[in-house]
Amino acid sequence: MDISLIVVQAFNALFYASILFLISSGLSLIYGIMRILNLSHGALYMVGAYVTYTVVILWLGLDWFSMILGYLASILVVGGLGILVERILLKPLYGKSHDLQLLLTFALILILDDVVKMIWGPEYRAFPKLPGFSIPVGDFQVPIYFIFTVLLGFSVAIVLHLFFTRTTVGKMIRAMTYSPEVASALGINTDRLFALSFGLGAALAGLAGGVAVPLYTASPGMGTEVIVLSFAVIVIGGMGSIKGALLGSLIVGFSRVFMVMLFPVMEIALIYIIMALILLVKPTGLFGMEMRERR
Amino acid sequence: MRLYARDLEVWIGGVKVLSGVSLDVSEGEVVGLIGRNGAGKTTTLHTLMGLVRPRSGKVYLERDGVELEVTGSKPYRIAGMGVSLVPQGRYIFPDLTVMENLEVAYGGRVPEGLLNEVFQYFPELGRIRDRLGIHLSGGEQQMLAIARALVRRPRIILMDEPLEGLAPKIVASLREVIKRLRGEGIGILMTEAGNIKRVRDLVDRVYGIDRGEIVFSGGIEDMLRDEAVRRRIWGV
Repeated sequence: MDISLIVVQAFNALFYASILFLISSGLSLIYGIMRILNLSHGALYMVGAYVTYTVVILWLGLDWFSMILGYLASILVVGGLGILVERILLKPLYGKSHDLQLLLTFALILILDDVVKMIWGPEYRAFPKLPGFSIPVGDFQVPIYFIFTVLLGFSVAIVLHLFFTRTTVGKMIRAMTYSPEVASALGINTDRLFALSFGLGAALAGLAGGVAVPLYTASPGMGTEVIVLSFAVIVIGGMGSIKGALLGSLIVGFSRVFMVMLFPVMEIALIYIIMALILLVKPTGLFGMEMRERR
Repeated sequence: MRLYARDLEVWIGGVKVLSGVSLDVSEGEVVGLIGRNGAGKTTTLHTLMGLVRPRSGKVYLERDGVELEVTGSKPYRIAGMGVSLVPQGRYIFPDLTVMENLEVAYGGRVPEGLLNEVFQYFPELGRIRDRLGIHLSGGEQQMLAIARALVRRPRIILMDEPLEGLAPKIVASLREVIKRLRGEGIGILMTEAGNIKRVRDLVDRVYGIDRGEIVFSGGIEDMLRDEAVRRRIWGV
């Protein structure tokens, strides 16, 4: 097989893994900190895609500067939306059955899909081209945007790591993850941290949407496929672990891209085979810890 | 400052856990809450702290002559007013170091002066400041749990079985710490299940609790002399 094809596909896989990481790290954070399985995470990703599309294509014109502004807008809009959802809709459900949270986040998918249709219409919204040039590799081209995305994904991983290990707020969130009651009794404002955590997870989904939209186009329902794969990522990597989300994204990204090339019928199946094997050996995922049941 | 409860009635999962509990703790005194396991000691502390909302009854905080009702307030709000909890089982954050456990309670990097003050009570903690919570011994965890309460400069500390399950040497040094804290003007409400001897010369007065009711209030020697109370609390 042509070596340049393998190089190009490796970049493809890395790009795809970076998007998956941005989404699944937020999903994993929200689950790890709040024990909420946020089914609407894919819908938040979709909103992020539309926001960046609007800023870049409808308002400012396609260049790097407007891309960055688009990302910031996606982070702010979707992160803010996340905080509102947590404060207004999720908060009354704390301490009640988990089914209610699942129903609520599922309802949010339907609502956000319709809101998106009302604002942007049902048709697909595509970028005319990717921002930036492409680097020739043999007979193929690797867009510089792929490299940019991979660097961005790794930077976000590092920033998240530093946030949770170096800042007081990050450490407070880890303390709260262990015991919200004791954290609160020690004077930590757990209400604010819950809102912040959900907002942070949502903001990551928004950023993922903004980063993905130049390649994947924005459409209602675009979050559905990605949410299923993100669940596979965090089950493989371990719920609540950033490191796990990173490794899980790489596993899913590479196996998907190379299976499409080598053995397309098994493209999706392989991911679930890997997932099942890892669960057999380590039920908590690669970097997962035992989850304590909450009172 | 004085923290007090009047006529607390608490239900948990359809079971009445406290009925008509009233008690007080003020700055500069050590108050014991004595009762068997399941008598309602922890629930009482949790209700004072805002972790449990009573079905009826009130919790008040009196500070500088101002009386404030705090029934059902968020625990972090009550903590913000100068009340701190040393929970049963210590609940040291396992993946944070000793220093980080103090940092999250303080809400930022603990200033050097305050840190030295706290380590004066527990010199051992100063030597293991970078050790993870999960790697601490039971005694070290208990010291850290008290230190973590202290960095907030509380006026009143609620200690849930602080002497339970520890080696005699550690118990002795914790008893000294509790006496010193009282000397500093801090009020302490501490629970004790079985071993009355180790709190006998520590507490200024005690409450006896049995099946969610306060069955005695007064000096510990009087309590020990009271045949009926002894039978209810210790079954002897």
